[in-house]
Amino acid sequence: MTRTRKIENACLTAITMAAAVLWIFPLYWALVTSLRSEDHVVSRNAGLLPDQFNLSAYIDAIFNTQLVTWYINSIVTALIITLLVIVSGMMCAYALSQMRFPGRRLLYVVVLASFMVPSQALVVTQFILMDQLDLIDSWAGIILPQLIVPVVIIVYKQFFDAVPGEMREAVVLDGGGDYTLLFRVYLPLNRGITTALAIITFIMAWNQFFWPFLVVNSEAMMTIPVGITQVNDAFGVRYARLMAVALLAAMPVALAYLIFQRRVTEAVMISSGVKG
Amino acid sequence: MSGIELANVSKSFDTTEVIRGVSLTVDKGELGVFVGPSGCGKSTLLRMIAGLEETTSGRISIGDRDVTRIEPAEREVAMVFQSYALYPHLSVFDNMAFSLRLARASKAQTRDMVQEAARILQLEEHLDKKPAQLSGGQRQRVAIGRAIVRQPKVFLFDEPLSNLDAELRVQMRLELARLHRRIGATMIYVTHDQVEAMTLADRIFVLRNGMVQQQGAPLELYNDPDNRFIGGFIGSPAMNFLDGHVTAQNDAGIEVAVDGADGQRLHARLASKRVTGDRVTLGLRPEHLHPNADGLRVRMEMVEALGGVSYLHTRTPDGTELVVEYRGAQPPADSTGIAVGIDPANVVVFDSQGRRLR
Repeated sequence: MTRTRKIENACLTAITMAAAVLWIFPLYWALVTSLRSEDHVVSRNAGLLPDQFNLSAYIDAIFNTQLVTWYINSIVTALIITLLVIVSGMMCAYALSQMRFPGRRLLYVVVLASFMVPSQALVVTQFILMDQLDLIDSWAGIILPQLIVPVVIIVYKQFFDAVPGEMREAVVLDGGGDYTLLFRVYLPLNRGITTALAIITFIMAWNQFFWPFLVVNSEAMMTIPVGITQVNDAFGVRYARLMAVALLAAMPVALAYLIFQRRVTEAVMISSGVKG
Repeated sequence: MSGIELANVSKSFDTTEVIRGVSLTVDKGELGVFVGPSGCGKSTLLRMIAGLEETTSGRISIGDRDVTRIEPAEREVAMVFQSYALYPHLSVFDNMAFSLRLARASKAQTRDMVQEAARILQLEEHLDKKPAQLSGGQRQRVAIGRAIVRQPKVFLFDEPLSNLDAELRVQMRLELARLHRRIGATMIYVTHDQVEAMTLADRIFVLRNGMVQQQGAPLELYNDPDNRFIGGFIGSPAMNFLDGHVTAQNDAGIEVAVDGADGQRLHARLASKRVTGDRVTLGLRPEHLHPNADGLRVRMEMVEALGGVSYLHTRTPDGTELVVEYRGAQPPADSTGIAVGIDPANVVVFDSQGRRLR
């Protein structure tokens, strides 16, 4: 390795380390703060290093807020969204890829076009629609608009297009129909893609703030990201408790990421078109 | 088992007619081979029998049943694909059991039928493996096993050996022939390889431009081609063709002056009457040509020495290629000019349109 190359590598490492510290510091600070007593958080003696292991903020967050309800709301809505997005996306992609019917191409163009419309542009119409359907402040109201995920359809269609036609014909001759082909052959074949898409959909649904914030009024229907905004009281912000709630809110996604790291990376690459 | 009958079957894609009024019969227990060059419609015809392609007109019958408009799964046919089309996520056992499970066969029946097929195909020790763990030949056997367990009336093979290497292809060809003899099923086999067709078939159907050019037993087609295309297609090395014109005729046959051969003549047996000057093409099999001092003088271009037999690649004075089979340990040297003769009884005569003259 030449001297210049060594210096280059050292510089790159230093920059990466600095970026990593910048990125991880808020998380570290949230953890340190959440483990301090409320008094200590705002005292002059609170330094950068961890100096207390006090779980009162967590106990307070769990027992004195509606955190458990928000958790349940988030888990239920994110799971339902994930399940429906994957099943409907896969079935839609199957129809677009494997079935021959008039308007098939036009339908695919509509799917592609919907990909280009930012969700914020639809918020007002979606809100009015949910209101007309009397779904404001309900799980259905949170879930329905989040089911539009065209990238899932596009990714699945690419996969189905690439499966050799003889596989389909073999199933047809074996006496199977479209459901056999989709659920007994294609689905097991694309388990990797399905897992990756399911994880990324779940994370997106879990982290969704804007729409649930608009459509939910009562604390009992809030999801975690919306619920966090409620964690203060008449006497001001309680930082330790706020940080404890924030960490508990992020924990499932962080855990999912840690467990399925490879799949998440794959999902990001697939959905961004880097990998087909 | 049942035979298959196609009556005036046609198929069009938009305005392009790819199968043109094909009528043929494959008898019960027979192995029929569709052979022809790329794009002749042989695979399309097979897929029409399977029901994977719609039939534009005509009738397809399996046994006594008209299946023209019947769904593929209800035709009681099984197909072996060129790519094998095995389900990669399933074990060999599950691949073979797939259709039985769809048909809701009992567990015991499924197990028995799969094991019987595995025994016939010597796959017993591979039943738990996934297709990716098998060799090409083993995968092909699994594909055949998947067809056997369905106990179909007809087996359809779409170029099943194309993906195998030359040695394995020969081996699998023999295995298929043995399998056919053993289970005695009606089979249709599609190939572009005429050697495969000759070695496997009870009856060959040669297709060209969506039409059956000739059908018959392999040696029937080899010895008695109906037209120049069949003569050239069946046999390896291919039949030689020499153009010329009739110079004389008597009861024994005709005398033909070969084009560009300095007035040299060949004789052929022919019953039908020709007149002097008629244009004809003579078909000469390489194994019927032999060195003969009084024969057609040709120049040697190359010798393919294969051991017991050699192929002499020669050219007539006007440059027409003539392949001569030479039996003997020591073939003539490359640069030698030789003269070759042929028994008039072995010369096949075609008219200027390539139709057979008898």
